[in-house]
Amino acid sequence: MKLMRNILDRIKPHFEENGTLHKLYPAYDAFETFLFVPNHTTSSGTHIKDSVDLKRTMVIVIIALIPCLIFGMWNTGYQYFSQLTPDMNGYKDSYTLFDSFIYGFWKFIPLIIVSYAVGLAVEFAFAVNRKHQVNEGYLVSGMLIPLTMPIDVPLWMLALSVIFAVVVGKEVFGGTGMNILNPALTARAFIFFAYPTKMSGDKVWVSSAESIDGITGETALGQLASMVDINPTSQNIINKFGQFSSDGVYSLYNSFMGFVPGSVGETSVIAILIGAAILIFTGIGSVRIIFSMFIGGLLMSYIFNIFAPESNLFMSLNPFHQLCIGSFMFGMVFMATDPVSAAQTNTGKVVYGFLCGVLSILIRVFNPAYPEGVMVAILFMNVMAPLIDHYVIEANINRRKKRLQMKLLKS
Amino acid sequence: MDLVNIFIKGVFIDNMIFAYFLGMCSYLAVSKTVTTANGLGLAVIFVLGITVPVNYILENKVLKAGALQWLGENFVSVDLNVLSLIMFIAVVSAMVQLVEMIIERFSPALYSSLGIFLPLIAVNCAILGGALFMQERQYSTIIEATSFALGSGVGWYLAIVAIAAIREKIRYSNVPPALRGLGITYIITGLMGIAFMCFMGIKI
Repeated sequence: MKLMRNILDRIKPHFEENGTLHKLYPAYDAFETFLFVPNHTTSSGTHIKDSVDLKRTMVIVIIALIPCLIFGMWNTGYQYFSQLTPDMNGYKDSYTLFDSFIYGFWKFIPLIIVSYAVGLAVEFAFAVNRKHQVNEGYLVSGMLIPLTMPIDVPLWMLALSVIFAVVVGKEVFGGTGMNILNPALTARAFIFFAYPTKMSGDKVWVSSAESIDGITGETALGQLASMVDINPTSQNIINKFGQFSSDGVYSLYNSFMGFVPGSVGETSVIAILIGAAILIFTGIGSVRIIFSMFIGGLLMSYIFNIFAPESNLFMSLNPFHQLCIGSFMFGMVFMATDPVSAAQTNTGKVVYGFLCGVLSILIRVFNPAYPEGVMVAILFMNVMAPLIDHYVIEANINRRKKRLQMKLLKS
Repeated sequence: MDLVNIFIKGVFIDNMIFAYFLGMCSYLAVSKTVTTANGLGLAVIFVLGITVPVNYILENKVLKAGALQWLGENFVSVDLNVLSLIMFIAVVSAMVQLVEMIIERFSPALYSSLGIFLPLIAVNCAILGGALFMQERQYSTIIEATSFALGSGVGWYLAIVAIAAIREKIRYSNVPPALRGLGITYIITGLMGIAFMCFMGIKI
């Protein structure tokens, strides 16, 4: 560590006011504060004394994402190999746990590299031009964006959505902490509406599915959405019902553990729960949002259960099963809890989370066009969050005014 | 069609701002604070709730092909549809004037809180849009038309208070100087449009 400090101190003069590389000072600054806690102090405004600064916060979120990341890599390989027929390259029975992981690793690494390289390049360009520090926020967004994508998404599409999210979603507002929408969700929504064929259907969720015939790589939600409005007695539908029973492909156990097709990070509830535990324990993710969103989703699923016609499996699915499929859990733990775009007040957080949960399930069930509607639902609540805050604060002011009046009346 | 369905559809799915981009001028101009946005939003709900039913009666009793039958057999073949645009505009501005005078007479408090917004609404295209959509969609009863009008109004209200709250929040953001004011508001509107797209395609 001492060595690093010395090197940094030695090259620092080049980047300062009169140095030859002054234009690149944001890059130097970003690197230095990434390694060492900065020693400069606040000169005006609010002082907060805490050893955890923004960069440290972001790194903890990355750590919380690692279980999802590792499981997602393994699952990518697992889905790929289990779709191959035995005579094809001799796989099917002979692949090991490690094979799956390595396959997924090589598939997924390019996505991460592109996401970080493009995103950070845009950030650097803005930092140099607008003379502010490089924003730490992209460390997390850059990891979340590839985790919400299907594994085979073309890299240029990923790059385009990253640029859109960073420029329009964040930098035009002034950078980290000033945006109104979660950048990762903005990227996901952008690619979802711009290239719907690459983001839905039954061919995108399993690696190289287009080149293999007869593959069934649909997500649980895609299956459910395709069942609505079809004669419930047809053999096709009965087969699909079977997939959600306890020994089917999309059983509660499989959905909970994550052995199902889906975008990279979202499949395994157990890996997400580990991440949630880390976030809650360190106090970085808001417990209020996570729990109220869970309760909101559960309540909505129960309501659907009560009113469900027998043929509509989408509505009559067991509430816990409903929450385990799709990206509900991932959105709940990593997307809705974004401290910038979520509601800021404590009461507001509870309302915000609850509405997120209700809306996610509502859109999933009612909108056949977007069965994976959780992300868009959270995006919608991001838009509404400032309004919720406004009314919470307003109510608070009124309550205090009333209290003051009572006091004045008594005295 | 169910009344509640029409209402919900008006609020979320066929939102005046994000699905049809109607009433944008006052939406962009009067959304600096939540309080004023609140006033304008309420006024829009109010005026839509009055003008659309009136226009509905006008449409079905005067303008539609054959609507003049109640005057006598000679008028069955009369089709005054060409006049509908002018008639709707006239009704909207007349109603707004009337409403303004009535409010001023009977509720000065409400009048002063709505203030300049009432005359502003006379030129708000969401109001005329409401009348034209009512004509195009051919609601079967006046209650359905009113339900649609109130739904559209509430949707417009929701959109303007949401963007006002966002604009109050980003007052502390470091927006590039060139984009400050209307520029960033357009970008926010676009982003909100993306968020509202989650309701598109819902069939109820």
